[in-house]
Amino acid sequence: MDHLKPEEVVDIAEGTRAESSAPHLSTCELCRTQVREMRAMLSAVADVDVPEPSPLFWDRLSTRVRDAVAAQTPSRPWADLWTWPRAVVPAAVGIAVVVAAVLLGSRAPVPPVPGAPAVAANAVNDRDALGTPDDASLNFVADLTAGLDWDAASEAGLTAGGSAEHAVTHLRDAELRELARLIKEEVARSGA
Amino acid sequence: MITADLALAGLDEPALVEACLEGRPGAFDLLVERHRRTVYQLCYRFVGNHEDASDLSQDVFLRAFRGLKSFRGQASLSTWLYRIGVNVCLNRVSAKTLPSESIDERQFEDARAQSPDDRLLQEERGARVRAAVAQLPPKQRATLILRMYHEMSHQEIADVLGSSVGAVKANFFHAMGNLKKLLGDDT
Ligand SMILES: [Zn+2]
Repeated sequence: MDHLKPEEVVDIAEGTRAESSAPHLSTCELCRTQVREMRAMLSAVADVDVPEPSPLFWDRLSTRVRDAVAAQTPSRPWADLWTWPRAVVPAAVGIAVVVAAVLLGSRAPVPPVPGAPAVAANAVNDRDALGTPDDASLNFVADLTAGLDWDAASEAGLTAGGSAEHAVTHLRDAELRELARLIKEEVARSGA
Repeated sequence: MITADLALAGLDEPALVEACLEGRPGAFDLLVERHRRTVYQLCYRFVGNHEDASDLSQDVFLRAFRGLKSFRGQASLSTWLYRIGVNVCLNRVSAKTLPSESIDERQFEDARAQSPDDRLLQEERGARVRAAVAQLPPKQRATLILRMYHEMSHQEIADVLGSSVGAVKANFFHAMGNLKKLLGDDT
């Protein structure tokens, strides 16, 4: 004969199921004992209150929560970076690095690093070949970099070297060529 | 003394959540004020001592604040807070062994309308039951606490714990059996 399942014992002890719906009960002392013990425990455990803390505790708890929330709440606008979709932030920062590199590169050519291989000199020459960016390309880079906070990006670990200068001096020859191509492409697309 | 903004006081639950999401000053304070006792009691029953219950309550509200954007009213705010509370407590009890309550922590127990002897007996019985509950395996503990002290249905508990009603009832059955063993002749 099958004994009552635990959930049946619970339902009968709690009164949500009638004893008459389980004919087995009338023939099984073990199951009757289980139901009886369950009822005794329900009554023993009920109405056991949590000790009331000091009346001052509740406001102290609220204050602690408020302080903890304040410590978590970003006070700097750049922290909104974290609300951007994950893929967008690195992409935007990547574009900004590239653009800033072009800006710096076009305004103040970086002297060749002593002892650097010949490609470094070529890189500088390639940058010179870009010439001074016209107004359209300046606007383009201004748009791209608007609102980006370099400290924030750096703090967030999104830039490798920590500065645009670092980025531009570490661009390889091929990267600079690709950069020049991208910039020209973007300037053309933005209707220059 | 912390008093939430009067204009917020009349807001119902969904409106208060909206106010929190909009960053209205005092809105989250009010949410905490409304639910802090329930959350604290849940935590206290879980860990059996005031210090840990305070820390856990703070943690529950902090997580609620962080996750408020994901609360879309699919459950009641209290059910959602219970879910966070149970998760926080389950994480904590699996991470460390907590001290159970001491006699000193019972000093604020409501003592109205009882003779001193009755009161003492009830306090002692209450302390033994709470200490025994705090020794149950975590899932059984959560089930028993939500069922016995927060008046949740088995279905609501299943929602909070992410399990089935059958599993909740089985957990409850085993929790009661274990509690009986822990309390011995006291029952
Ligand atoms: Zn049986």
